[in-house]
Order: sequence, then C-alpha cells, then structure tokens
Amino acid sequence: MIQLKHLNKKFGQRLAVDDLTLQVPAGEIYGLLGHNGAGKSTAIGMMLGQVWPTSGDVNICGHDVTAHRRLALQKVGAIFESPAFYDYLSGRRNLEILSSYTAPTSKRRIQEVIEWVGLSGREYSKVRTYSHGMRARLALAQALLPQPELLILDEPSDGLDPEGIHEMRLTIQRLHRELRLTILLSSHFLVEVEQLCTRIAVLNRGRMVFEGTLAATKQGAWTRLKTGDFALAVKQLRESQLITQERDGHLVALCPGIGTDQVVRLLVERGMPVYEIAPVEDTLEDFYLSLMNGQKQGE
Amino acid sequence: MFYRHLRNELWKLFGKKRTYIGFGAFLLAQNGMLLTFHYTHWQTQMETMLEGNGYLAQEYVSALTVALLMLIPQILLLMPLYAALVGGDLVAKEVEDGTLRMILSRPISRFRLLFVKWVAGGIFSAALVLVLGVTALGFARMWFPWKGMFVFVPGQVFNVLGAGEGFKLYLCSHLFMTLNASVVLGIAFMFSCFNMKPAAATILALSLLFVNLVMEGIPFFERYHEYLLTYHFRCWHNVYVQPIPWSQIGQSVSVLLAFNLTTFLIGTAAFQARDIKS
Repeated sequence: MIQLKHLNKKFGQRLAVDDLTLQVPAGEIYGLLGHNGAGKSTAIGMMLGQVWPTSGDVNICGHDVTAHRRLALQKVGAIFESPAFYDYLSGRRNLEILSSYTAPTSKRRIQEVIEWVGLSGREYSKVRTYSHGMRARLALAQALLPQPELLILDEPSDGLDPEGIHEMRLTIQRLHRELRLTILLSSHFLVEVEQLCTRIAVLNRGRMVFEGTLAATKQGAWTRLKTGDFALAVKQLRESQLITQERDGHLVALCPGIGTDQVVRLLVERGMPVYEIAPVEDTLEDFYLSLMNGQKQGE
Repeated sequence: MFYRHLRNELWKLFGKKRTYIGFGAFLLAQNGMLLTFHYTHWQTQMETMLEGNGYLAQEYVSALTVALLMLIPQILLLMPLYAALVGGDLVAKEVEDGTLRMILSRPISRFRLLFVKWVAGGIFSAALVLVLGVTALGFARMWFPWKGMFVFVPGQVFNVLGAGEGFKLYLCSHLFMTLNASVVLGIAFMFSCFNMKPAAATILALSLLFVNLVMEGIPFFERYHEYLLTYHFRCWHNVYVQPIPWSQIGQSVSVLLAFNLTTFLIGTAAFQARDIKS
C-alpha cells in the first residue's frame, strides 16, 4: 500500500529523512515512531506529495506520488495533528469543501459519514464552536469521505483529553475492523501504538533504526531472577560468562545462546536458592527507550 | 469540477467577516466624503470652477459628478489596500492556518488550486469595484440630482458630459478599475505564494505600488512612465477624455493584463517548488 525506497529529504544542509526504505502492506495498522524532529511528519508529507523528496521513490497505492499524485492519492485519507478547518464555516460546509478536492461527493454520503463519526445534530454549527473532540471527529469525517483504502494519521490524538484519546483509539480499531482500512499511524503515545499497531518503524534523526513486528519488540533481553543474594549470584554468573549485564537488583541479560536452565543449574550447584526465573516481556516504551539510548551511546 | 472548486473558494472568501470589513470601510468613507463635499467649500469651489469655464453649475453638480469625485481617492487609496489584504490572504493565510495542508492531502494539483484561487480573486476584485461604484452612485443620488457629469482630474481630464453618456462612461471606467484591483490583488497573491506571512505579502504588494507611485512623481522618471504600474492604473481616467484615447487605454490594458499573468505565473512557480509543512 505504501512503498518508500531510499527516500531522502534535505532542508538546506539539514538531512531530515535519510535513506528511508519502508513498506506498509495492505490491511496493517502500521506505527511510525520517533522523537520530535525525527522525520515522521516529513516522511508523511512526502507520502502525500506536500514535501518534495530530494531523492528516492514514494509509491502509494501502486502509483508514484511525485509523478502521478492524482492517481496515488485518490483512495487516501489523512488526519494531521491539530486538524485545521475553516472555523467561520459550518462543519458540513467544511466537509463539502474538502471532499470536493477528491471527487464530487453526494449529500447522502456526507450525511452517512457525519452519522458514522457521531456529529449528527451539530453539522450545521460553525466549526469555531466545536470542542477538540468534535474537531477530531470532523477530521475523521473529512478523511473518510473519499472512501479511502489507506488512512494516514499524523499524531491524531494530539491535544485530546484522556477520554478523547480513548475514543480515537476505539475509532481507529473500528475503522480497521469494519472498513478494513490500511492505517499508517504516527504517534508519540507509545501505549496507543502498542495497543493498535501490528508492525512499527522507529525513526531517529531521519534514519530508520528499527522496523519489525510489535511482537519482535517484546522479546526482551532481560530475565527476572529472584535469588537469596542477587549481587553474589550476578558475580558468579558473570565469572561463568552466562550473563552480560544486570540492573534494578532483579534483572539480568543472558549471554547469547544461554538458557535459563543453565543459570538455574549453576546457582543451585553453588548452593544458592532460585525463587523465580523468567524472561521479561518488554513494553514498547522499554524497547523504544533502550533503542534510543543505544543510538545515543553509538554516536 | 472547476465550478465546484471555484464555488468553494468563493464560500471561503465571502464567508469571512474580514471580507466585509473592507466593504464597510468603503461605505463609511463614501458617506464621509459626501458630507464633506456637501457641507464644506468643496461644492462651492467646484461650482465656481464650472461657472468660470462657462458652464451652468447646477446642470453638472450631479449624482454622477459627485460619485466619481468620491471614487477617485478611494480607488487610489482604499481599493489597493483591501485588494492587497485579500490577495495576501489567499494562499499565505491558508498555509498559516493549516487548511492548505488539509487540501493538499487530496488529489488536486497545486496549479489547479492556485488557478481557482486566482480566478476567485478576480471575482472578488469585480465585486469590490461593483459595490464601490453602485454605492457611490447610490449615496450621491440621495443628495444630488440625476443631471450632466463633470469630470476633473488635474492635469489629465476636464470634461462635461450629458447624463446618459456620463453614465455609460461611468460603467465603462469600472471595467478598468476592476482590472486595476485584480492587478493589485495579483501582486499580493504572488507574494503570498512564497513562504511568508499573509501580512508580509500584503505589505510587500503595497510597498511595490508605493515605490511605483513615488517614482512616477520624480521628474527623472518622467520618460520611463510607461514602465510604471501606477501610470497604467490611470487608464480608467482616460475613458472620460474626449475623444477617448483608445490606443493609450489599449496599451495600458495590455500592460496590466500581462503583468497580472506574470505575477500569477511567478506565484505558481514559487508555490510549485515549495514544501508544505506544518
């Protein structure tokens, strides 16, 4: 659905996106993570033909965005952080205006979408009277009007209260389930990404530093170990080259190829009780932070 | 689709209160001038001038004469200001507000979007001049009779006309005023296509006109008048000269049309090359 090949973008001397190659298959909810200025919005801008790539290819729905923008974006909907509307016009008028840039949209279809997002009864009110949540729903409505196959969401929960964030999360799940949309989600909310996405890419300073399934991020490098004397156990395990690191007084990182059975055997043989030993499943936050720390140390 | 997009632009343009503030300012200025004309020596001076040239003042101090009198300073000062204000907003305000990013996530080409905006700007220019002309004549008619027309622009025109002919020329001159307004709007539009704030686009457009006006007033540049925009803006005065210098008007219209097209193309090229980011 989305295919980026060796994509680069320079703003003056600054490299905003550096050799980004990415593929989002149809039907996925794909997460795009990274700190502020990591290049997520620039990458999304290039996918939508708003930012010109310095080099590389961007293909959306099988069409090159730079050369055939019209064809590429025909079945694409997008929502940006703090969605902007013509505040002095009604919600419905905004939808009429925005949808007309894709294709003529019937009044019936507009009404259907208004009902779908739950804005019925307020569609004729001026947008300036809308709450953050209602604006988010209006943004969703405008994105859904062209009956998209791909939805690009750039920080859709930004500025929403906890209820709004929860509602947005449910809506994204509903869109994926009911309308079978492919969704690219760029977000700072790691919990949101963890709950929604099946696959993620992490950008750091314009470079992609991880790409894979969410399950892969959970295969933690740490093992929880509860024993009588943790410090002594760590010393013994290090001497036997079974672990590489320890932290927090109960976590150890096993050497490659070492299993928990070997750790248990060694400790028991040396007379130390083992109360608990189990691999720890990383949260996405743990994974993200360790990835970013690793990047910092590597520089 | 073009009609639909144009209708969108007009909704956006005429849905804003700011658009009507301009019209409101014109109405106030017109009434202010009308009262000044009626209650100061202005009217008496005009009557003296007419009588000094052998004309019956009461035949020519009319609605048409006063309407035109009201229009001259407004076309020179207020009209460029409001045309530049709206032109500067057309693209830059949408970029600033973030609505352009919403539009450009849709499969519409940048050229088409700008062309529609430019045409909408032209329609706004026509509406602005039409309202100016109609309200000037309407207010003047409330105070003055429908009689002959006296046109006096120092150094350019001194003419008296019958009511019918005067009205025809009054209508005709509005066509050229519309062209002037669209050129001013086009300059601000061009600047607003670059990466700048709407106010900056408006100020740059007005500065360009001001520089033209100042240069025109410097004797050294007298031989270069044809190269100055403000010189060609005065083509609407020439409609009232007898006989009408159509070749000179044609030359000015050609220059203004070419200038308008050039600003559009420069703006489009700049916008096409730009990255649109939040």
